[in-house]
Amino acid sequence: MLLPARMAVLNRLSKVESASIEQMMEALRPEYGHEKQFNYNDYLEHMMALEANGYATLKKYEVDGNGKIILFYGITEDGKVSVEKYVPAQYR
Amino acid sequence: MNVNAAVKMQELQKKFRRTGMIMGILSGLTYGIYSTFVVIAGQKEPLLGAAALVMAVAFVTCGLNDLIAGIWLLIWNAKKGKLSELGRSVKTFPGMMIIAGALLGGPLANGAYLLGLSLAGTAAIPISATCALFGAIFAWIFLKQKLTIRVIAGMIICVSGAVIINLVKPEGATNFTLGIICAFVAAISWGLEGVVSSFGGAILDCDIAVNIRELVSGIVILVVVVPIVKGMDLLGGTISSVSPMVWLALSGLSAAVSFLTWYKANSTVGCAIGMSLNVTYALWGVVLSVLFLGTELTPTMLIGSVVIVVGAVLVTMNPLEFLKKEA
Repeated sequence: MLLPARMAVLNRLSKVESASIEQMMEALRPEYGHEKQFNYNDYLEHMMALEANGYATLKKYEVDGNGKIILFYGITEDGKVSVEKYVPAQYR
Repeated sequence: MNVNAAVKMQELQKKFRRTGMIMGILSGLTYGIYSTFVVIAGQKEPLLGAAALVMAVAFVTCGLNDLIAGIWLLIWNAKKGKLSELGRSVKTFPGMMIIAGALLGGPLANGAYLLGLSLAGTAAIPISATCALFGAIFAWIFLKQKLTIRVIAGMIICVSGAVIINLVKPEGATNFTLGIICAFVAAISWGLEGVVSSFGGAILDCDIAVNIRELVSGIVILVVVVPIVKGMDLLGGTISSVSPMVWLALSGLSAAVSFLTWYKANSTVGCAIGMSLNVTYALWGVVLSVLFLGTELTPTMLIGSVVIVVGAVLVTMNPLEFLKKEA
């Protein structure tokens, strides 16, 4: 059984210092990559919603070679507490 | 940080803010539309003829509206390729909390809200907007969130607005005060729902959380509550009538859009601004009722609605912050 996507994003964020949307999608691609909901806009929305609720924070941003802005997010203390509380132990 | 990146980031943030604001306003407007359409549905046969069975009418309309909203959301989520998220989410603790919240927000709050609408008319709409006040109180009690002077001032303004609305009873509304009490029950339950679903609800996809909420609410109301209030015949009669079902299909669609855009606003401009924009439904609801239902707009209702919305906005956010962000 897979975790709900947004929970999987937060769970993944708890294991790294920071991650861009692109890096997050690469990390989750093996499990979620075949799904229609696996796209940049939906993952950006996951990050932004987690940020709006205080679980994630925008760490830095930069522009890549193609002029595209890359956003890097990290987990907050509240986010860590939520992972501990709500993500089943076998996924953490 | 290079200048190019900073400029691009500013553009992105501006875009997010604009989208969030539009979504927030849309959520308030569509909630006002939902409130109006549901009343129109209640004015169609067989619901109109059963007006004496107040409870049955309220729950049949409420249950059908929520179920239809849930079906619209299923279609939306299917289109987005998110249906598998439903099963994944309900198996988690936050998913179960969403279901618990749905029981509070659905059968209890929506039922009381529609009962309030049928007893007190349009006045029930702004009263229900005091849910922001109850949300803040419950967050203070259960989540140990601090109550600031601004929040307390907003609460007092909310209550004053409710008192103003209740000052003059509209002609013909025999159970006006009971209707207002029902609207308060709805507001209290929504406040509680907010607290319950805050137990991890935010780490689930909001499109999915809303879908679970509407489906659970609709099914529980129709399967459990409607038989208890002896509304099965009315339910059968309503489903087989075109006119009320068309309005309920539209009200369900409005409710679905309202919830989706509300959460979208919350995640792009933050919950405080999102909720403040959403709560303007109280004003939209009153305006739409005057335009489409022929409701007579009394001065007390107008002033009370504005006062409640101002108070609710103050409870959820600092207006100075709003101006600062706009600048």
